[in-house]
Amino acid sequence: MSKPKVAVISGFGINCELETMAAFEMAGASADRVHVNRLVNGESNLEDYQIMAVPGGFSFGDHLGSGRLMGNRLRFGLREQVTEFVKAGKLVIGICNGFQVLVKMGLLPGDAEVSLTQTASLALNDSGHYENRWATLEFDPDSPCIWTRGISRMRVPVRHGEGKFVTDDRTLLDRWAETGQLVARYVDPSTEYPGASDEVLPYPVSPNQSWRNIAGVCDPSGLVFGLMPHPEANHSTWLGATWTREDTEHGEGEGMAIFHNAVEYAASRM
Amino acid sequence: MDGRQPIPYMSGSVAVHSIEVTTRDLEGLPDARGDSVRSMLSADFGLDVGAVRVSLGYLVKAEMNQEEAARSVYDLFADPVIEHGSSQGRLLDASEVFPSPPEVAIQVGFKPGVTDNAGQAGLDGLTTLFPHLEGRAQVATTQTYMFWDLPEGTDPSDLASALHNPMIERCAIAGEDDCGAARWPSLEFPDRPPAVFAEPAVVDLEVSDEELEEISETGLLALNLNEMHAIQAHYRDSGVREARESLGLPAAAPTDAELECLAQTWSEHCSHKIFAARINHKDNETGESSTIDSLFKTHIMSPTLDIQKQVDWLLSVFHDNSGVIAWNDDWSLCMKAETHNSPSALDPFGGAITGIVGVNRDILGTGLGARPIANTDVFCFGPPDYAGDLPAGLFHPSRVFRGVHAGVRAGGNESGIPTVNGAMVFDERYIGKPLVYCGTVGIMPRRLADGRESHDKTPEPGDVIYMVGGKVGSDGIHGATFSSLELTEESPSSAVQIGDPITQKKMIDMIIEARDEGLIQVITDNGAGGLSSSVGEMAELTNGAEIDLSVVPLKQPGLSPWEILVSESQERMTVGVRPKDCEAFEALAELHEVEATVIGSFSDSGAFVVRFDNTPVAHIPISFLHDGCPQLQLESEWTPPENEPFSSPNTDAAGMGDVLRRLMARPNVASKEAWVRSYDHEVIAQSVIKPFCGVDHDAPGDAAVIAPLHAGTQGAVISNGIAPRYSDIDAYSMAAACVDEALRNAVCVGVDLDMIAGLDNFCWPDPVESKKTPDGRYKLAQLVRANRAIDEVCRAYRLPCISGKDSMKNDVTMHGEKISVPPTILFSLIGNHKDVRMAVSSDFKHPGDHIYLLGETHQELGASELAYMFRDECSGGIGGEVPRINPERNLTMYRALTSAMSEGLVSSAHDCSDGGLAVALAECCFGSGTGASVDISPLESDCNHLDEWGALFGESMGRILVSVAPEHSNSFVAAMEGNSCCRMGSVEDNDKIMVNYGENEVLQASIGELKKAWQGSLGGDA
Repeated sequence: MSKPKVAVISGFGINCELETMAAFEMAGASADRVHVNRLVNGESNLEDYQIMAVPGGFSFGDHLGSGRLMGNRLRFGLREQVTEFVKAGKLVIGICNGFQVLVKMGLLPGDAEVSLTQTASLALNDSGHYENRWATLEFDPDSPCIWTRGISRMRVPVRHGEGKFVTDDRTLLDRWAETGQLVARYVDPSTEYPGASDEVLPYPVSPNQSWRNIAGVCDPSGLVFGLMPHPEANHSTWLGATWTREDTEHGEGEGMAIFHNAVEYAASRM
Repeated sequence: MDGRQPIPYMSGSVAVHSIEVTTRDLEGLPDARGDSVRSMLSADFGLDVGAVRVSLGYLVKAEMNQEEAARSVYDLFADPVIEHGSSQGRLLDASEVFPSPPEVAIQVGFKPGVTDNAGQAGLDGLTTLFPHLEGRAQVATTQTYMFWDLPEGTDPSDLASALHNPMIERCAIAGEDDCGAARWPSLEFPDRPPAVFAEPAVVDLEVSDEELEEISETGLLALNLNEMHAIQAHYRDSGVREARESLGLPAAAPTDAELECLAQTWSEHCSHKIFAARINHKDNETGESSTIDSLFKTHIMSPTLDIQKQVDWLLSVFHDNSGVIAWNDDWSLCMKAETHNSPSALDPFGGAITGIVGVNRDILGTGLGARPIANTDVFCFGPPDYAGDLPAGLFHPSRVFRGVHAGVRAGGNESGIPTVNGAMVFDERYIGKPLVYCGTVGIMPRRLADGRESHDKTPEPGDVIYMVGGKVGSDGIHGATFSSLELTEESPSSAVQIGDPITQKKMIDMIIEARDEGLIQVITDNGAGGLSSSVGEMAELTNGAEIDLSVVPLKQPGLSPWEILVSESQERMTVGVRPKDCEAFEALAELHEVEATVIGSFSDSGAFVVRFDNTPVAHIPISFLHDGCPQLQLESEWTPPENEPFSSPNTDAAGMGDVLRRLMARPNVASKEAWVRSYDHEVIAQSVIKPFCGVDHDAPGDAAVIAPLHAGTQGAVISNGIAPRYSDIDAYSMAAACVDEALRNAVCVGVDLDMIAGLDNFCWPDPVESKKTPDGRYKLAQLVRANRAIDEVCRAYRLPCISGKDSMKNDVTMHGEKISVPPTILFSLIGNHKDVRMAVSSDFKHPGDHIYLLGETHQELGASELAYMFRDECSGGIGGEVPRINPERNLTMYRALTSAMSEGLVSSAHDCSDGGLAVALAECCFGSGTGASVDISPLESDCNHLDEWGALFGESMGRILVSVAPEHSNSFVAAMEGNSCCRMGSVEDNDKIMVNYGENEVLQASIGELKKAWQGSLGGDA
């Protein structure tokens, strides 16, 4: 059986493409680094891929709001390719800056029509600055999200200055909660599973004071997923924050579950 | 200024649209920018403001109609969900946005010509929206700060000076009256004044010696009389004159460009004249009188070359932009550390960001191009709580700290390079010039697909020279020569720049692809000295080069040839490409949207030739450029300094606990977590041992361990050592301590001692005796002693220096007052780790684990952190025995320990440095949330006049505190046989540190309180 192909987007300050490619390859896919301009100039085409990943980084230096300028490059330069890709039932993930890109271009939380209308945003952390620290995520077991199937909790680093998920219409939050789109949330690791709550948890359990502790969302179909933390940065056990304190059987890290889900799903449809 | 000018208004013949953006007032959405300013004012100025709001302004100079301007607001500049934006009038006039007018409003924007990264990004976004504006638009940014509920009597101009740096920024202030009348602050578009083009000028050197010195001084050339004479002599040579005549150049005198080029190449900054000098050294303690022909060759290079004969992994040392080691059969690693001190004193943010992205380019310019994968940052600042007099013209240390931190944060994070390790050192003598050390590690494949070894440059005559990346502007003229002079109130603002990480990131992506396709023959960065230095250096490899300055892309028209030649405008590499590969190289540049311009070609003509179109500008023989600078002759004289001796108070165990608590809060010891957290230390997904460890991720790590190949288990260890205060007693010990600290830290994580390499980075006060520096001989003697220590210790540790740097003029004279840094070395280390799964962290693991101190403890409290604390608290001096090194003994112990680690016998390891054993013990407890109980009486076996102060707070080198699980204790003790290994006690399941001397209680403290003190003093808002 041939491996699912992943287009890992690069260029203009994206900087997590190598580890994102590595995580997909460790999960059994074949990953290409694809510069945005190669898609614009036709050297590459999303049609040839089963998965698109927009990795983390500092596209355009986060100026004018993180993800905004890269979101515009995709929204104005690649509108057709991207909407066709999503409508074809293929998988998309945006991690950190990539998540910001997908939110600013309106692909997340998104709608069934893939209208690319922005309905939410990622504001500055309440601390007002960038932070790198580890957090624990909990996933909604009832979510349609393909990427998070069967995962209950996961320890991952967050590395961002603008990760506070907000919207200007609070009724949308209830709707997204109902449809299982608020799929990843920060949680206090000392609580029993399931322990996700709507009340904003204290800093630094919630590193950015995101509304309802939201760390990641999916679109209504569950194919498009984005999150602020970095699962690809926990691809091996020795990258964990406290692995030297744990009696660990070394091997794949907790973050790999997300990539396995996607690669298995894509392979099953080939 | 009246804010009510029509919008858009006209600037020259092009309209300027003003767009403003601010955070919407939604429940649960603070104006985080405003809140940050509010807490900064409170922390740094004790100013408690009721509310601060910030709006961002974009001045768009473009032929854009009102409709387009309106569309750009929510399609580009403002977030439609969480921000208000407007292209029609001021937000402050919109009562639905700001219901009540502020008491003060201050607008800040860059001065003309200063790099505006947000403006550049806005411009890129604008042309995505409106492709017809490509090349026909400019964007400049402003920030408007609005204040409500100011404390009575707050002077708006004090607020303004806290919010902008007049060297690079402009500001407009609206006070209470203005605000009441809706006269908002409003800056105009920062149009660059046109540069005045000057044809190459001739500099007559047939003048008196006084006039020669004046030419050097007024031109900021930093050349001494001897060097001016050497240049004068060159232009008297009849052969030289004939050659010049035939080229159409002035026969008997240099052009301005030639003189500038020589001044750059021969500057202390670029050619390290003090390290190359001939030194007469006198030691009044021993009676020694000797001559040293180049400290660099004698004490730095020679040990490395000797070690190179014994190992097979030293691939490239000293001659390239960074040193390269063969990490395994397929990959090599390289490392370089730089300083950016003078610019950071003038503009902390700009200086620091330029420093970090600059040293990244040293990695990119190594061999045929290496990829930067890790940064380390070490800063030396004045105390953040400094309350003494501050000479006019200097920033308060807390502002320098904040600015430097923000610059390095932006530079590292935006470039996608993790900051894996670092340090901060505080001393009042860094108030004049802070030291900003930035280091970078790179990785490259050993061989390219075409078979070339990537650490070797392979230029040939005929190769085409490209300038790649940014454009050239008037910013950064005279950086190299300026940093070779002391800082004064007249230091030029043109020497300050602001780095642009995104332009550079695009360039790095492109260069690495070009390397992998085999398109690069030779590459180096444009840092100090600009093209003059980059092309001049590479021309030495083929013995010649010719460039045309008229084709160089400029930020503003009209720059004169000499300015283009020496401008240090950032984010540029110079690359040599075979003519047949040019098409492919340019295609890659286009894909990545990187500017790449052919500016000339390499030759074997023996000369560096510069034209401006058809006008000859410079013709300098390569041999004269690189070997013509006369050697300095310097005098050095050592007399040991006298210091008031250390004295300790009488106190009981609880009192000792309080001494430890105060020590934990000293800025040199305190937790830097609040600051370090805002560096990305995990991008690239390779960080195994991180800056923090422990159950709550807040205990300090020692060295960094990274596993650069994804899913691979071979690692690299990166560590640093710095101990400037030992120079107050003996710079020999200072240098030895730096090397030992770097190695000790690396040993703590389990480094492979058969592959360790170092970088020496000297920052000295001017050590050349003169009227301004009457104690030059002593400072030079300190340099000699420090070099001898590096030589002896590195040989003993088999730790070759592979690269280094020196910055020799770290003095500031402001209005007659001189402040010099203490002689400082940063020693950085890179080493192999055979299996990262066996790496060890510093935190204790389990109650009941046995605690051992490895290495001998002596009564060495001279220049210790404790001595400085007591001195600052007004008792005694810092004198006494400074730690002495025994590297052979240390190395034997380090080998035994790392071998025990590889067998899994060691639970934790932490080095003893600032604050000694007591501080190390507390930090190990912080990581486990436990206590510890230890007995110091066994330590006496190593030193019979050791008292409890020396045992607990002395800083003897070569010591590591480890913990071992009880079941491994016997094997561990057997593995350490023959080394000083003292079982001191156990990890306890409580909140107490208990130290006994036999039956007597010596120190008792609560871990909770120690940790609070340790986390409290630098916990400021980052």
